[in-house]
Amino acid sequence: MSHHKVEVKNLHYTYPDGHKAVNDLSFQIHHGESVGIIGANGAGKSTLLLLLMGVLFPSQGEVCVGDVHVTKKTLPNIRQRMGMVFQDPDDQLFMTTVYDDVAFGPRNYKLDEKEVEQRVLQALEMVGILHLKDRAPFKLSGGEKRSAAIASVLSMHPDILIMDEPTAALDPKSRRRVMRLLKSFEHTKIITSHDLDMVFELCDRTIVINKGEIVVDGLSSEILANAELLDTCGLEMPLGLQNCPICGITVKNEK
Amino acid sequence: MANIMNSLYDMRLLDDLARKETFIHRLHPMVKLVITIVYLIAVVSFDRYEIGALLSFLFYPVLVFAFAELPIASILKRVLLIEPFIIGIGILNPFFDHQLIVIGGITISRGWVTFLSLFIKCGLTVTAALLLIATTGMDRLAGALRMLKIPRLFVLQLLLTYRYISVLMEEVARTLRAYSLRAPAQQGIHRSVWGSLAGQLILRTFERAQRVYQAMCLRGFTGEYLTGVNEKIKTLDVAYLVAWILFFAVARIYNIPMLIGLLITGVIK
Repeated sequence: MSHHKVEVKNLHYTYPDGHKAVNDLSFQIHHGESVGIIGANGAGKSTLLLLLMGVLFPSQGEVCVGDVHVTKKTLPNIRQRMGMVFQDPDDQLFMTTVYDDVAFGPRNYKLDEKEVEQRVLQALEMVGILHLKDRAPFKLSGGEKRSAAIASVLSMHPDILIMDEPTAALDPKSRRRVMRLLKSFEHTKIITSHDLDMVFELCDRTIVINKGEIVVDGLSSEILANAELLDTCGLEMPLGLQNCPICGITVKNEK
Repeated sequence: MANIMNSLYDMRLLDDLARKETFIHRLHPMVKLVITIVYLIAVVSFDRYEIGALLSFLFYPVLVFAFAELPIASILKRVLLIEPFIIGIGILNPFFDHQLIVIGGITISRGWVTFLSLFIKCGLTVTAALLLIATTGMDRLAGALRMLKIPRLFVLQLLLTYRYISVLMEEVARTLRAYSLRAPAQQGIHRSVWGSLAGQLILRTFERAQRVYQAMCLRGFTGEYLTGVNEKIKTLDVAYLVAWILFFAVARIYNIPMLIGLLITGVIK
């Protein structure tokens, strides 16, 4: 299924103030893959996501989704196939009710109101917040907001899910719930995070970025166990792979 | 600080009220919009010395309050917020308009009459506008404006401004909280940081607004704000519209309070 492929070729991006955020990135992500993109603060992860979604356009190089180049002309088509969940759900939820927020995307694609309703209810059901559909988003808790933000993207039936820090600022139980949710999706997933334990559990493949360049691209189980490599990129091994501070034995996380 | 956060919740009260399910709420948004516009024109069109005839227009907000089951106090509080501006505009009337008139044995300058009529007109018009929002909601109202062929750009501007006010206020509240925690002994904000604080706020709000806009674009937003409701105008809507417009016309042409007064005094005689 090559049409769900994401391909990045020699991507460069320089911010207007001269800061080089992305420097010659190339990779391919295939259908159904789950990829974690990790790196220290300011490594260029968020910029990369914005480039993938066509919010920013590369100064050099190109992004292809399926066999389509991301350009101004192809944006509506691309954005229907890729859904992005923002780091701060407050940026994403701006309507008066959760229902309207989740319906925002499908309505923009001029779907029939019946179809919209069906998709909204289905998306809310999937993330388990159907009972919150008439609530105002600003009155929800952090975890509920995150679920609503994910639902607002799912309702557009994307083939590829892109997530910026999906577990940031969540309490342990909510984090676990979001992770379980993400695990159940069969979409192609691209996740950036500092929560390396989550990346270890959810993503088979990891791309490490440092100063806008790819340091290594490979199996999560190998990369995330390489303490030396992670250290040079300003990262640390996932806590789950480190020794227990009390008894000194490595404990396995709940899978 | 608490004040700002409270007013934020206050502001969203109108959104909450708009979700009620009463007879008034269920009416077609365009009908309510048209009635409100006619009401505003009728109220404003009165001569500045006619206070008596103006009073019959009180009837409209009172009925809407009652039927839509809205909390009177919290809406009137918002109306009062506007009144200081009107006092500022009208307070000089008594000095400019010296001609004297006698009302019930008391001689006052006509300026006071115009001031009072200005005050009442402001109260009525602002109440009507708030009632429109509290019974319709901004989204459906925007839909109604689009049906009246108001250009897309203006409608969008209105809607997004309305949405972003809360974004701005949240940023303000957070910044002020951070400031006050590190300057516990101060009353308000020292003037030396006014500039940088305001600048910071603008930049932050820009950034925030940009992210919200990006999130909208990523979900296929192209400039048309679709609320999904495509209501049809029903007979009840038309009847409601006609009834109010008739009432406004009658109240505009005849001085109803005076007629009632005459009737009562006539009966007494």
